[in-house]
Amino acid sequence: MNNDAILQSFRDAFPDLDLEITSLPVDEHVIALPADRVHAAVAILVEQFGIYHLSTITGQDRDENLELFYHFWQGHGLTLRTSLPYDAPVIPTVTDLIPGATFYEREVCEMLDVTFEGHANLEPLFLPDNWEGGAPLRKDFVVPPVEGGLDVDKEAAA
Amino acid sequence: MTLISELFALLIFPGFVFLFVAALTFEWIDRRVIARLQGRVGPAWYQPLADFIKLMAKEDVLPSGANKVAAAALPMVALAAVMTAGLYVPVAGRAASYFEGDLIVVLFLLSLPSLAYFLAGWISVGVYSVIGGNRSLLQYFSYEVPFLMALTGPAIFSGTWSITDIVLRQSQTTWTLFVQPLGFLLALVGLIGKLKRDPLDIPKAKSEVIAGPLTEFSGRKLALWHLTMDMQTVVGIFLLVNTFLGGYSFGAALPSVFVFAIKALLVLLALSAASVLYARLRIDQLANLGWRILVPLALVQIAFVIWAGG
Amino acid sequence: MTKVTIPIGPQHPLLKEPLSFLVTVEGERVVDSKMRLGYVHRGIERLCQQRTYVQNVHLMERVCGICSHVHTTTYCQGVEALLGLEVPERGLYLRTLLCELERIHSHLLWLGVLAKNMGFDTIFMYAWRYREIALDIMESLSGGRVSHAVNIIGGVRIDMDAAQVEAVLGQLDELDTHITTLLGVIEHEKTFRVRTQNVGLLSPEQVRRYCVVGPVARASDVDVDLRRDAPYSIYDRLDFKVITHADGDVWARTVVRLLECVESTKLCRQILASLPDGPTSTRAPRKVPAGEVVSRSEAPRGEVIYYIRSNGKDKPARVKVRTPTLPSLLALYDQLRDVNVADISVVLSGVDLCIACADR
Repeated sequence: MNNDAILQSFRDAFPDLDLEITSLPVDEHVIALPADRVHAAVAILVEQFGIYHLSTITGQDRDENLELFYHFWQGHGLTLRTSLPYDAPVIPTVTDLIPGATFYEREVCEMLDVTFEGHANLEPLFLPDNWEGGAPLRKDFVVPPVEGGLDVDKEAAA
Repeated sequence: MTLISELFALLIFPGFVFLFVAALTFEWIDRRVIARLQGRVGPAWYQPLADFIKLMAKEDVLPSGANKVAAAALPMVALAAVMTAGLYVPVAGRAASYFEGDLIVVLFLLSLPSLAYFLAGWISVGVYSVIGGNRSLLQYFSYEVPFLMALTGPAIFSGTWSITDIVLRQSQTTWTLFVQPLGFLLALVGLIGKLKRDPLDIPKAKSEVIAGPLTEFSGRKLALWHLTMDMQTVVGIFLLVNTFLGGYSFGAALPSVFVFAIKALLVLLALSAASVLYARLRIDQLANLGWRILVPLALVQIAFVIWAGG
Repeated sequence: MTKVTIPIGPQHPLLKEPLSFLVTVEGERVVDSKMRLGYVHRGIERLCQQRTYVQNVHLMERVCGICSHVHTTTYCQGVEALLGLEVPERGLYLRTLLCELERIHSHLLWLGVLAKNMGFDTIFMYAWRYREIALDIMESLSGGRVSHAVNIIGGVRIDMDAAQVEAVLGQLDELDTHITTLLGVIEHEKTFRVRTQNVGLLSPEQVRRYCVVGPVARASDVDVDLRRDAPYSIYDRLDFKVITHADGDVWARTVVRLLECVESTKLCRQILASLPDGPTSTRAPRKVPAGEVVSRSEAPRGEVIYYIRSNGKDKPARVKVRTPTLPSLLALYDQLRDVNVADISVVLSGVDLCIACADR
């Protein structure tokens, strides 16, 4: 996997963006992109460079916005970082390019309430069918009380 | 025979009590041999009896849509059929009753438990029971034909349709096994299918259909079903020993009960070894095996018998 | 023919962990399948945010029962990278030794489960009996058969002396003979081959499309193994083969996994032969400096990836875990298309499900 070639292709494809590549342990490189360019970037990776292995899609709540990571791997790790605002957590799906992303996007959707446009089936993957509590990985999530149960957050703070 | 001796033969030996004890004993020997072949220890001698008593004492639950009358009647019908068949199969030369043609009656009676098994799945309503029942019927058609064909061999060879007389003829000439070894093998494979033992336990494959037709049975009904299966094993083995292995006859002057017991145990050993050595077949693989391999072999065997006899 | 829906799970003799599969069957052929995960979802990622880094090592051990050591290895590797810690050589060697032993025990466990689900109880009994040797080794090293709790941030908490090394080498020889026997059995036993060949086929294109990892991918001729391609721990110093097979069916996966066991015993011997002296761990500070890390390793089932973010406190800000069974579950839909009902159990077992891993 040639990181410089990939960076160059991205720079050619998105001339208006100022793209940099940073490195993370362990053997990982990160390129930050705005949310609307992610699909095109993944298309370049898949079609031009033949990088098909998406390890996972990580989502996290960063207090000001939501952040998504698309972790790719082919010999070395390459991650695409993008952020989504709280009031519009919508991003186009990449399952048309990489069908393996189906479960990862479903998980991010149910855990962080992000909508992936064009995904065939965004039902909850791990949460129960009758889950009413909200997105568990959001900062403002409170564990719904269970009759006679343990308040997990209070226990942890204690 | 006096009334006392007839009642004794019917109820004690070789009748019901003997069949019951033999069923539990054979189950124990089978489980123990399989365990030892798999590197385990195996259950103690009282395990089958303990299982039976425990099941008799358990609660009897049926799904709401199941036919209660049929669910209660089917195990009893199956058990009665097997026990009646056992009356005509001589043990060490002595049968509770015999007449010309009792081989046919025994074969018919031994096929009734298979049909009852299928019906048990059908009336149980649950998905696993129905699928198990369908499979048991498919399996029935795959092994029953070669089994029946294999068992006509000894009858033709001995010139009689009574099991007791077949044994008599073998003691005068030679064991059917030496004349029809292929028939014996086919009868063994057919018996494995009839008894639904590994590798032909497809209708009750635990990882696929939980327990097949018997999934929804519990308590006394299940105890009776297990007893039926065990007795079917005993009667089937005795049938094979009598028709192919010469019953009690040995040539040398050994006690007939001893000889018979040894032969029966050898057949049981063969069945246990077959359980251990092979993976379970798929139902379509069994149908293939039954119709493409076993039936033609059975035809060859019968043709040979007719040609050699005539 | 009418369509019948068979519920496989959440409780089923076939499954070791709860998973719901609604398989629609017509006669003896599968027409449709619907999967539901989440029965063992414990919310581990959120729990991680409320525990310190040290407490999280114990939590990560419990993500999965069978591959617990590899989870703690990947986690500790990530945190050590964030801390800039240099784990002593001896610690790394012992950590890797347990990784390989865990691989052997996991593959033998899987073989037993596959055989049992196929109706071949004998291989189940024998495979689990040989697995006891691997478990005995792990118990003598760590005190636990399946849950070792060996990793700490900064190294491992155990050590070995010369007598233990000798004993383990002897037990590894015993394991080798047994695994060779098992290989011989599956090679020659016709009923085993007949039940597993051409069942659960996955082509290399399907493997790439669904991002399947591990022995399932390697059995479809996709030559990827993180121990060789992205060496972590001390794998760059060890010499081993990556096993691939071209068939892509359950038979190929069996062969791949058993040959991997053989490679693992070789690796264990190399590790024991070149075990360096020194301490097995270094002291790790409680507070981890702010940063992010992506840590990967090769579990018995494939690639495990951890993303850990720290914001300078003693509790992580985010820990993301993705386990190898998840893409294999996705590939199951394709494998279960148009298959015999009797093959469902073989297909499901062939994928080596670890639902606790997938659900977290």
